[in-house]
Amino acid sequence: MEAIWLYQFRLIVIGDSTVGKSCLIRRFTEGRFAQVSDPTVGVDFFSRLVEIEPGKRIKLQIWDTAGQERFRSITRAYYRNSVGGLLLFDITNRRSFQNVHEWLEETKVHVQPYQIVFVLVGHKCDLDTQRQVTRHEAEKLAAAYGMKYIETSARDAINVEKAFTDLTRDIYELVKRGEITIQEGWEGVKSGFVPNVVHSSEEVVKSERRCLC
Amino acid sequence: MSGKDGTETPVIAETSRTLEDGNCESDKNSESVDHSAMPESESELAASTGRRPEVKPSSDLETSKVQETVSKEETQTGWGYWGSWGKSLLSSASATVATVGQGISSVIEKAESSLGIPSPSEISSEVKVAAAETNTRENEDSSLGAGPFGVFSTISTAVQSTGKSVIAGGLDALEFIGKKTMDVIAEGDPGFKRTKGLMNRNATLSQVLREAKEKEELWTSNEVTMETDKNTHYGLLFDEFQGLSHLEALEMLSQESEIKVRSVLNSLSGDELETLKLELEQLKEAFSLAEFCDEEEEEKKGDEDFTKEVTELFSQLHVSTKPEKLTRARNTAYEWIKAVPAKTLAENKEEEKQLEGGNTEEVSKNSIEDIHAFAIRSLAELTACSIELFHKTAALVLHGQRQNVTAIERSQTLSQVTVVLCKELSFLSREFTTSLTTVGVKEKTDSLNPLITAVFLEASNSASYIQDAFQLLLPVLELSLIENRTESPTHELQVQKPLAQQ
Repeated sequence: MEAIWLYQFRLIVIGDSTVGKSCLIRRFTEGRFAQVSDPTVGVDFFSRLVEIEPGKRIKLQIWDTAGQERFRSITRAYYRNSVGGLLLFDITNRRSFQNVHEWLEETKVHVQPYQIVFVLVGHKCDLDTQRQVTRHEAEKLAAAYGMKYIETSARDAINVEKAFTDLTRDIYELVKRGEITIQEGWEGVKSGFVPNVVHSSEEVVKSERRCLC
Repeated sequence: MSGKDGTETPVIAETSRTLEDGNCESDKNSESVDHSAMPESESELAASTGRRPEVKPSSDLETSKVQETVSKEETQTGWGYWGSWGKSLLSSASATVATVGQGISSVIEKAESSLGIPSPSEISSEVKVAAAETNTRENEDSSLGAGPFGVFSTISTAVQSTGKSVIAGGLDALEFIGKKTMDVIAEGDPGFKRTKGLMNRNATLSQVLREAKEKEELWTSNEVTMETDKNTHYGLLFDEFQGLSHLEALEMLSQESEIKVRSVLNSLSGDELETLKLELEQLKEAFSLAEFCDEEEEEKKGDEDFTKEVTELFSQLHVSTKPEKLTRARNTAYEWIKAVPAKTLAENKEEEKQLEGGNTEEVSKNSIEDIHAFAIRSLAELTACSIELFHKTAALVLHGQRQNVTAIERSQTLSQVTVVLCKELSFLSREFTTSLTTVGVKEKTDSLNPLITAVFLEASNSASYIQDAFQLLLPVLELSLIENRTESPTHELQVQKPLAQQ
């Protein structure tokens, strides 16, 4: 049944204003590209189910934050309850790439005592002719912070699915290995509902086998 | 009654307003309510306020901090964020206890112990029990129209009796709700219990709703249910429309503002503090939602009017957010309803021609379930959209560009928005139930009435969520009032600049 999922992950999407955060999320959740969109006020919410293995679904709850400076005090408060994040910059806007450091510093301060798994996203890769940030330097920066790097386009639907599902898989692995655990009072990871017992016992067997190795 | 001070004043004022509402209906009636209601409601109220500060099982540092300040605030002024929660909750609680008595509270009790939202049939059977229990009292009062009790008795009669004429009684009750949305908070059984639970457990509204939703999820996943079954779970649908998330975000803004307002108040003293307190008092008045007794406005308005009214109110707020999503959802709901009777009537006729009776019931049975599912979905969507709007408004009041509108003006407008939204919900629920009655004309009342009751219950729940969300805006506007005060000199400078250039 559609309503059933193993876990719910809360993801946060951050980055300078106008890099295309809302458009990327809308493409992912609604499957369409909005030509015109108003700047996000505070935060918006989206959700979608992702099937990471056959029959295993994760519900993603995506918090779309405003990039505008004036809403920063609001958006800061949301880091704490997120397990994963997409940090976006616009490949045609050098300034937005330079600000990646700042974004990471800010999250580091406000996410305590939890951690967020980030992926660095170079957005608007359909506009390759106007590129101001090379793939190489973006990859270097991502590696320096232990992040993956991916280039996406909401308009041409390039790598949008991959950006979200890869991140979801990485988090799922960490949860499976017990490096991220469900905690009371933390919204980052929530347990879903497994419909039948066979499913969950299969899970147990798998993790035991893993331990022996 | 008016001579009280401190904690109890606002609560009692609220109670008396509820009773005054009763007066609009019929004098004879409200008198009987008056006599029985007053002593009970006061004692209930005192008991609740006394009990509340003792409940402090908080593990979280933040909440315990909030609670400390709350109890302090209560002894000082009796207001504030949590204070006002208490206000509206207590008044509705006491009103119910006083006028309804044991019958309904047992309904509420049982409903809550079963599931997040009980199934319509469950509610109806409970209402039946309640009706039996309170029958004597009902006879004494000999009325259907006054006080919260009136609504329930009408509905229980509808459930008990057979035949179509009864449904008209149910619709009267729904019409009545339009005027009495404030009272209805108390009876919206699951919602009321949820909000009442909030008082006891020190949980926030979104937590309570989240729990209810999770219960529903658990239930739907354990039971091998059909996809259509899930479609009638209000909580799940409310979450699907991101209502819970927006509520949670609104709560965060509200709590932050509350803390800031308190720290400002603590830093002030003497005349400065008194003037500010006076201004904040005025602001609170705008949040008391007094205008539910407007008989004239009750008449049906054109389809365009809601869109126009809400859009206009939002332009008065001077925030950049627009209620388009809400009005679109609302208009879609109306278009759907309009299309329903024609379609099913045509279907039925054809069916009758071909099969002669027999299977026609099958067709209309599907139809009333469809209408019910769509009604619940629409209510959940409209409520989620409304709470989203309140959340966006809060964000923009706090961080938007400075506008030439005072916090009090904004509060008054928001209060009107809340009234309009609640009226719309009751009106919409009436449309849905009318549609259910028309389409289900051949149905047994046993299968039709629970659906009607469920629509009505979720509509009143929706109204209470919206009103609760509205109350969350109070600290936000308080903070905005304080910030406007301190920034007014620079504001004046900005205004003068263009003049100097000329």
